[in-house]
Amino acid sequence: MPSKYDVGAEHDFVAGKLYRIELEKRAIVLFRRGERFFALRDVCPHQGARLSAGRLQGTTQSCLPGTPIIYHREDEIVVCPWHGWEFDAETGCSLADPRKARVRRYLTVVVSDRVIVDLA
Amino acid sequence: MTIEAAPEAAESAGRADAVSHKLVDCDVHNYPGSIAELEPFLSKRWCAYIAQSGFSGPPGPSYPKGFAMAARRDAWPSGGGKPGSDEAFSRAQLLDEWDIHLAILNPLYNTAQVHNLDFANALARAVNEWTAASWLDADPRWRGSLIVNIGDPHGAAEEIKCASQDDRFVQVLLLVRSHVPYGRREFRPIFAAAVDAGLPIGIHFGGHGSPSSACGWPSYYLEDHTNMAVAFQSQVVSLVCEGLFQEFADLRVVFIEGGFAWLPPLMWRLDKNYRGLRSEVPWLQKLPSEYIRAHCRATTQPMEEPENAKQLNAIIEMIGQEDFLMFATDYPHWDFDAPDRAIPSSLGSRLRAGIFSGNARTLYAF
Repeated sequence: MPSKYDVGAEHDFVAGKLYRIELEKRAIVLFRRGERFFALRDVCPHQGARLSAGRLQGTTQSCLPGTPIIYHREDEIVVCPWHGWEFDAETGCSLADPRKARVRRYLTVVVSDRVIVDLA
Repeated sequence: MTIEAAPEAAESAGRADAVSHKLVDCDVHNYPGSIAELEPFLSKRWCAYIAQSGFSGPPGPSYPKGFAMAARRDAWPSGGGKPGSDEAFSRAQLLDEWDIHLAILNPLYNTAQVHNLDFANALARAVNEWTAASWLDADPRWRGSLIVNIGDPHGAAEEIKCASQDDRFVQVLLLVRSHVPYGRREFRPIFAAAVDAGLPIGIHFGGHGSPSSACGWPSYYLEDHTNMAVAFQSQVVSLVCEGLFQEFADLRVVFIEGGFAWLPPLMWRLDKNYRGLRSEVPWLQKLPSEYIRAHCRATTQPMEEPENAKQLNAIIEMIGQEDFLMFATDYPHWDFDAPDRAIPSSLGSRLRAGIFSGNARTLYAF
């Protein structure tokens, strides 16, 4: 069985929007940030919500109490629609507990305007 | 331990196991879409008052929630409107999706924030009649909690007497952050009426009369949400010490959305203090923990999630009442507990069966 799947043309996907696709009966949440594409398993490891029903947004930078709160990493964080767990699009790791909570990430590549997701 | 989603096959098996229990969901929220939905259940006087004043409902929460309307982001009805305002959407997304056999609606319409007592009483009655007409009539799986105006305990008792004629209402709903603890004597008419009607009192997360913390107003919703367990503890202590359970042998109280892992040390502390301070509360005839075990129950959501799930077995053993917990999702709120994920299999099949269904069926006589 091939591990690489053509999931559509680059222009089929709007930046910042979450898409649910199914490959080999596996639910995937796909999204783009500029020219880059990201694919994560579409199941929150906490209670099973579809991450594709959540939001792509930024987050707050670690800082000391009373110092300015900086909002950064716009559109790099997937937020679960139920309990608000934040996952780093780059790693699939939870921001609150990166060593213990993560969602599986799949490699993506764009070849001749086609978006390829690798389930390997 | 790493928290990672299970393989697809294991996910399906977990769901099949959970829904096989003929689930009872003890905490679901329904909201009028607007004040206009209540107007058919209000007199002309109050409709005119609403039109003139522009009243649209009790004030909202003082802490901005994690998500709008404190709701799951996928719980906004596809046809428009607020989460929990569309019966058909809730029915499909909750009851049908999870094969829930019975679900108790808890309308969080806080009439205590309306200081005009006559208007607050009228609103409570309107919400109850609206729940019956718009939800209970729509699907036989719904059950309802009656809301009452705690600002007028005698008016609340009247409402309980009246609305409990409809046996689809299975509980009287109070909010945990009251201005004084519910054990105090001014609230006796509410408890007496609930016992007369054969209904448990459900005390739910929320309210506005006091901070959730016992030492003032914290800054963040994270604190408010976590501290709510402290407010519940204060209510447990009050109900016991003020003698409610001695006075009303048939009184049952359900703590909804307040957690439960805090209960064993609270009972130890209360029992210990009672041994030395009994003469202050001579109406008590038993140890506080005995009243709590006999008269109180709690719902599971938001489920306690220790890193080692097996520690929950020890907590339940320390509570000392196997039928103490009843399952709840809190749909459509953001801290929803999914039936297949929230109640760990390490609890064992007997405890899980009670939590998912049996304990609530016994308490509410379903």
